[in-house]
Amino acid sequence: METLPLATTGGELSIWELFWQAGWVVKLVMIGLLGASIWTWAIIIDKTIAYGRMRSALNRFEQVFWSGQSLEELYRTLADRKTTGMSAIFVAAMREWKKSFEKGARTPMGLQMRIDKAMDLALSREMERLESRLGFLASVGSAGPFIGLFGTVIGIMTSFQAIAGSKSTSLAVVAPGIAEALLATAIGLLAAIPAVLAYNKLSADAGKISARMEGFADEFSAILSRQIDEKVGQKAA
Amino acid sequence: MKAGLSTSLVLHAALLAFGLFTLKAPSAHDVGDVQAIPIDMVSIEELTQLQQGDKKAPKAEKPAPTKTERPHTVPDAKTIGNNDVDLDDVPKPEASPRKIDTASAPKPEPAPKPEPKPVEAKPEPKPEPKPVEAKPEPAPQPPKVAEAPRPTPEPAPAPDPVAETIASAEETPAMEFPDELPKPVSRPEPPKREVAKAEEKKPQKPTQDKTASTDQDLESILDQAKALVTKEKPAGGGAKRSEQTASLGTDRPSSAQKLSASEMDALRQRLAQCWSIPAGVDDAELLKVSVRFRLDRSGELEARPEIIRGGASSGPGRTAAESAVRAVSKCAPFNLPADKYETWAEVVVNFDPSDMF
Repeated sequence: METLPLATTGGELSIWELFWQAGWVVKLVMIGLLGASIWTWAIIIDKTIAYGRMRSALNRFEQVFWSGQSLEELYRTLADRKTTGMSAIFVAAMREWKKSFEKGARTPMGLQMRIDKAMDLALSREMERLESRLGFLASVGSAGPFIGLFGTVIGIMTSFQAIAGSKSTSLAVVAPGIAEALLATAIGLLAAIPAVLAYNKLSADAGKISARMEGFADEFSAILSRQIDEKVGQKAA
Repeated sequence: MKAGLSTSLVLHAALLAFGLFTLKAPSAHDVGDVQAIPIDMVSIEELTQLQQGDKKAPKAEKPAPTKTERPHTVPDAKTIGNNDVDLDDVPKPEASPRKIDTASAPKPEPAPKPEPKPVEAKPEPKPEPKPVEAKPEPAPQPPKVAEAPRPTPEPAPAPDPVAETIASAEETPAMEFPDELPKPVSRPEPPKREVAKAEEKKPQKPTQDKTASTDQDLESILDQAKALVTKEKPAGGGAKRSEQTASLGTDRPSSAQKLSASEMDALRQRLAQCWSIPAGVDDAELLKVSVRFRLDRSGELEARPEIIRGGASSGPGRTAAESAVRAVSKCAPFNLPADKYETWAEVVVNFDPSDMF
C-alpha cells in the first residue's frame, strides 16, 4: 500500500496507470484485496514460525519428560515459566494433582477426573492459540476471487456505460476499461491462491500437533492414574 | 504476529516495487498495414458470365480491355476501350470530290487569302446558290447577300467554295464538269467579271473545296454538318484500340445477358407447379414433351405454345402434350426480368416428370 503513491511512472496502460484510472469502487476492492493479501501473508509467516517453534518445543519436552527425570522436579522448573504445548498440559495436570494432594484428596476417582479435565482445558487452549487466524486464510481463499470478480464486474459495467456515452465501438475505447477491471480479479486471485494453499497446509500441521499433544495428555493421564492408584493403595495398606 | 506482519508488508512492498519497474505497459500489439479488402456479393449470374478477354492472356491484377487489331469491323466497340469518346459513326473514306477538286485546281501560286474572301468573292455566291437546288447551306445566305453586298465574314466561307470552284470550273470549263457549268453561267453575268478578277488572285481556295461539282449529293453535306455538330472527326470504332494487354477471359462478347440459374430455376419451378401430370401412364417416356413458346415483354404468351418434341396425336402422348401446353398457358404471365427480355423472348421447356420434381 505504501508503494501506491509511487505509481506514476509506467506507460499509458501499465498496471499502475490502470489502478489510477479505475473507479472508486474498483479501487476500493483492489485496495481491500491488497490488504487481505498482506494480512494473509503475515498470518502465513507467523503461523509457519509458530508451528516450527511448537514442534521443536514438543520434541524438547518429550525428550526431557522421558529422560527419567522426576516429575516433581520437572514441574518445579516449569511452573514459574510461560509454558506452551505439552508443557502447558503437564503443568496444568501437575498443578491439579498438587492441589488435590495438598488438601488431601478423598476419592481417587474424583482426582482422576479433575486432572483429565484440567489437561483437556489446557489442550483446547493451546489448540485455540495454534489455530487462531487460520479462519481468515480460509475466508480469503474462498471469497477473494469473488471480491475480485465483483470489482471486475463493476469496472466493466462502468466502462461499458462510458462506451455507450462515447458512442464508439472501437476496441481501443473498450480495452482500457476492461483491462483495469480485470486487474481486480487478478489481485483477488493473487491473494486467494496463497491463502488456500497455506490454509490447507497449516490446518494439517495444526492437526498433527494437536494429535501429538492429545497423545501426550492420554499418556500422562495414564501415568497419573497409576500413581493415584498406588497412593491409594499405600494409604489403604 | 508482528514479525509476520512486518515481513509480509516488506514482501508486498518489494513485489510492488518490482512490478513498478518491470511491469510496464505491454508493448503495443503491432499490426502491420493491412489493407481492407472490399467484399462484394456476387450473384451467380455475374459469376458465370466471364469477362470478355483473351483466353491465352496471362493473369493480371488489373483487368485490361482487349486489344483488337481491326477495330473498325467490331460491331460493339462502345463497351470496351480507352478512348475518351465513343462514336457511333463508322469511319468513312474521305469524300472523293475533294481529290477531284485538287486535281482541278492547277494553280500553284500561294494566294493572298485575306483580300479575295471579303470583297469580290461574295457577290458570286449569291447568284449561284439559287441554281444549285439541293444545298442547304448556301440557301440561307443569299438573302443577306442580296441586301448588302458585303455581308459578315462568317457566311462567306460556305458560299466561297462553291463560287470559287464554279469559277475555277469556268476557267477550265471543258475539262471536268461540263454538266454543271451551264446553270451558273446563264444568269449572273455582271458578277462574273469581278469573279474573273478574283480568280486570278485566288488560286488556292478551289483546291480545298469539294462542293462545286460532284458533291451535290446530300450525304456528304450531311456528313459535314454532323462533323460540325459533333466537333469530332467522323471516324468511329476507335474505342477498341487499346494499348493495354488483354485480360484473361473469353473471346465471346459477353454483351448478351443470360437468365441466371436462380431465375431459370424459378421459371422451371413455376411451370412444375402449374403442370398436372397425366395420371395412369405406365411409360414415363411418353410424358416427355418439349414445348416452345414466345413471350412478349410483359411476360404474356404471344401465341399458343407449340410442341417441338414428344407428344403424340393420340393416347397418353397426346394427353401429355396437352397437359404441357395447358401448364404453360395456365402459368401465363411469367414474371421475368424485363432487362433480359431477349433471353426469354422465346422459351423452350422440357417437360419431364423425372426432371421437374
